[in-house]
Amino acid sequence: MSIATLEPSADRTKQSPSIIEVRGLTKRFGDLVATGDVDFDVRSGEVHSLLGENGAGKSTLMKLLYGVYQPDAGEILVDGVVHRLDSPADARALGIGMVFQDLRLIPAFTVAENIALSLPGGGFRYRRQAVERQILDAGAELGFSVDPKALVRHLSIGERQRVEILKVLMSGARLVILDEPTSVLAPQEVDGLFTAIRSLRAKGLAVVIITHKLHETRAIADRLSILRAGRMVGSGIDPTTVDDRALISAMVGREVPPLPVERSDPPADRPAALRVTGVHVRGDGGNTALHDIHLEVKAGEVMGVAGVAGSGQRELYEAVLGLRPLHTGDIHIAAVEMAKSDPGAALALGAVGIPEDPISDAVVPGLDVTEHLALSNLSSLRKGLGIDWARARELVAELDRQIGLRMVAHDRTVADLSGGNVQRVMLTRAFGVDCTLLVAAYPSRGLDVATTRRTQELLLAQREAGAGVLFISEDLDELMELSDQIAVLHNGHLAGVVTPGEVDRYAIGQLMLGGSE
Amino acid sequence: MTVIDSPPEEITVAPEAPTKGTNDLARRVGSWVVAYLGALAVFGAFMALKGVNPFVAYRDMFDSTLMNSASLSEVLIKAAPFLLAALAVAVPARGGLVNLGGEGQIVMGGIAAAGVALGLEGKVASGLVMVAMLVGAMVAGALWAALAGVLRVGAGINEAISTLLLNYIAIDVLLYLISGPWKDSAGFGQLASKPLADETRLPTFGSDGRIHLGVFIAMAAAVGIWLLLRSTSWGFQLRVAGGNGEAARRAGLPVAKLLLSGLITGGAMAGLAGAIHFAGVEGQLRPGMTFGFGYIGFLASWLAGHHPIRIAGAALLLGAIAVAGDSLQIDAGLPAASVNVLMAFVLFAVLGKKPRLAGASR
Repeated sequence: MSIATLEPSADRTKQSPSIIEVRGLTKRFGDLVATGDVDFDVRSGEVHSLLGENGAGKSTLMKLLYGVYQPDAGEILVDGVVHRLDSPADARALGIGMVFQDLRLIPAFTVAENIALSLPGGGFRYRRQAVERQILDAGAELGFSVDPKALVRHLSIGERQRVEILKVLMSGARLVILDEPTSVLAPQEVDGLFTAIRSLRAKGLAVVIITHKLHETRAIADRLSILRAGRMVGSGIDPTTVDDRALISAMVGREVPPLPVERSDPPADRPAALRVTGVHVRGDGGNTALHDIHLEVKAGEVMGVAGVAGSGQRELYEAVLGLRPLHTGDIHIAAVEMAKSDPGAALALGAVGIPEDPISDAVVPGLDVTEHLALSNLSSLRKGLGIDWARARELVAELDRQIGLRMVAHDRTVADLSGGNVQRVMLTRAFGVDCTLLVAAYPSRGLDVATTRRTQELLLAQREAGAGVLFISEDLDELMELSDQIAVLHNGHLAGVVTPGEVDRYAIGQLMLGGSE
Repeated sequence: MTVIDSPPEEITVAPEAPTKGTNDLARRVGSWVVAYLGALAVFGAFMALKGVNPFVAYRDMFDSTLMNSASLSEVLIKAAPFLLAALAVAVPARGGLVNLGGEGQIVMGGIAAAGVALGLEGKVASGLVMVAMLVGAMVAGALWAALAGVLRVGAGINEAISTLLLNYIAIDVLLYLISGPWKDSAGFGQLASKPLADETRLPTFGSDGRIHLGVFIAMAAAVGIWLLLRSTSWGFQLRVAGGNGEAARRAGLPVAKLLLSGLITGGAMAGLAGAIHFAGVEGQLRPGMTFGFGYIGFLASWLAGHHPIRIAGAALLLGAIAVAGDSLQIDAGLPAASVNVLMAFVLFAVLGKKPRLAGASR
């Protein structure tokens, strides 16, 4: 369906004046039009959901509103008056506040100290008691319970997020922009966040929530707008007037085929591709990051790994691939014990990883796409003392064609690429290797919808081919859709292993937060 | 390999801005010219401050280095150990390592060559002695570098510090040997080892008979190292380890072995520099015989972005500046060490022009 048929809504906020309105807003980065000729408005007392794929320009638009970027064309009206926002300070002075996806609190400081840092007119002295009282008052007014004396590092991610929101509100914001606030939260925490957002709306404040999750938009938004490739393809729409399919095709520009629902059941008698027995692992700080983990992934099975960010996912990934020494316990890959933690040994047993942070852990400065892929095929590309680069180029071309993730030109330097294109290189490399165990950490991060779908198909294809797949994700929907079973981590413990068809997302959320099944 | 159906049509290559054009030849050459002229201008101001007419001094320097064949030979002879010392920096740099120990590795190479000569001279054919000197020097330089390498991969001790400190030890070993066990009894009290017999000195070529075999050895080494880094699997793996050690580890590469072998190869090149200087020029060990070669080599490698062929050019340039230093002393009355100031200005100008990441160039 075409977006022209999505009508602006005539909803109950129609009478409210716009706090902010933009007309013809355009921002270019070199040849790339990040946002082109965008019209958009937010009214007081509404929750406005901004939908779009990764790279659609959502964050750019919000950074324009928050004064981080300045537009190349177009104008920004606050309370009906055209303003230039040269810096976030200008935006804050006009009552516009933003909570970034990566929370920017100082962990070693208390809540009150963090908030005091951003309060206007704080002066030289830090009036601790006054600030603490203000926080309690503001929290009570909005129905947040926040302990101003608590150290931020002792707070959960959800609590930190609320502190950020409080911080923004206490510095006088009437419009709060939340950049993908739910991506790091368990379902229960999402409910808590939404309760907080509703109380802001009840106070007549405006909230913009950036997301790509439709059910969240439906749960909270009064109106929604959709960006695609920098263009506003639907602005100020009433969510009740459109169905999910129309929204997705508006976001993506075409219909996305569903994943095949019919999958072969993994036979119960399959051998284990991965067996983790009694594993304790130390984190970077010497703390115990994984406690007594017992886990088995059968050949031909997708084992999802769920958990609030920082629950031990990274340590599990590294332990399984021989990147992090085990304190106690042992790991078998394809029934062979890894004698010592050695990435070469894990590779030799057929364990392949898709890294969480490719830039720091997999991308080599100066090397092009072909060279990055050759790196995992060095033994087969040997020619005398050298490397058969002609064959490497053929191999990479062939892989790119078969895997179908459409990498950029193979002579491009990977370190110069955007996150999504780097990820395609990482995925093509991992899927191009025959493996007995695939350990995928957040494989669809930074990808658009169609490429994400292809990546999911490729994961399932590995499963069909008989590999065990350990699939770490922070997206519960994706985990429920792809996994045969889901292992839930809480604070380094295995809180439970559940079967997606038998439990709902709240049961998984309960485990993520440390409750029992 | 995973193959499912045919790739879906709807996946498109994500747009990607073209790489910023650093390939504009005219601009690149222009920026080099500006960098070198800048260094010359600053040094000219320095000379003017010392009461020397910089234009006259530069003309004298130019005339005395490039305008006659004798001084051209001199430039080549000076450049050869610089070139090898620079390769000693460039190879480890591919692995992301900083080898500040060229000086010590050169000294150990010289000591090994002298030791071999002392032990074998007169007992075996002189050609054999020469080969043994060169090989022994490479082994000694390699071992001296390996000390720092083992400390690095075994205990995580920063190789820049350890290689630097090993320089002082190597020089003390040299002083001990030439003031004790290897002291030349016919040396009139000068601290030096017994001179090399004429027939075990490196053969010389050219009309003036000054260019010795070491010059060609150095050039061959530069080509050899270039091929090694560029065309072998080892060179590629070393570059990966240097570019991102964690990526190398995760790809299953033997990172510790790669770093160690890079440092050892570099040390062998420095050892070779010690041998050709000993057997081609000095003929005996004496204090300060290699004074500063290792550091000049460091400079040359950075000037050239650690690229072996470009290093040969940088070594020639620095060789010419070193020879010009003599004219500076004779004609302009400035201390010979003034050329070190010029070398430093050149380095600053080039490094300031474009910060290069170690191992980034191919």
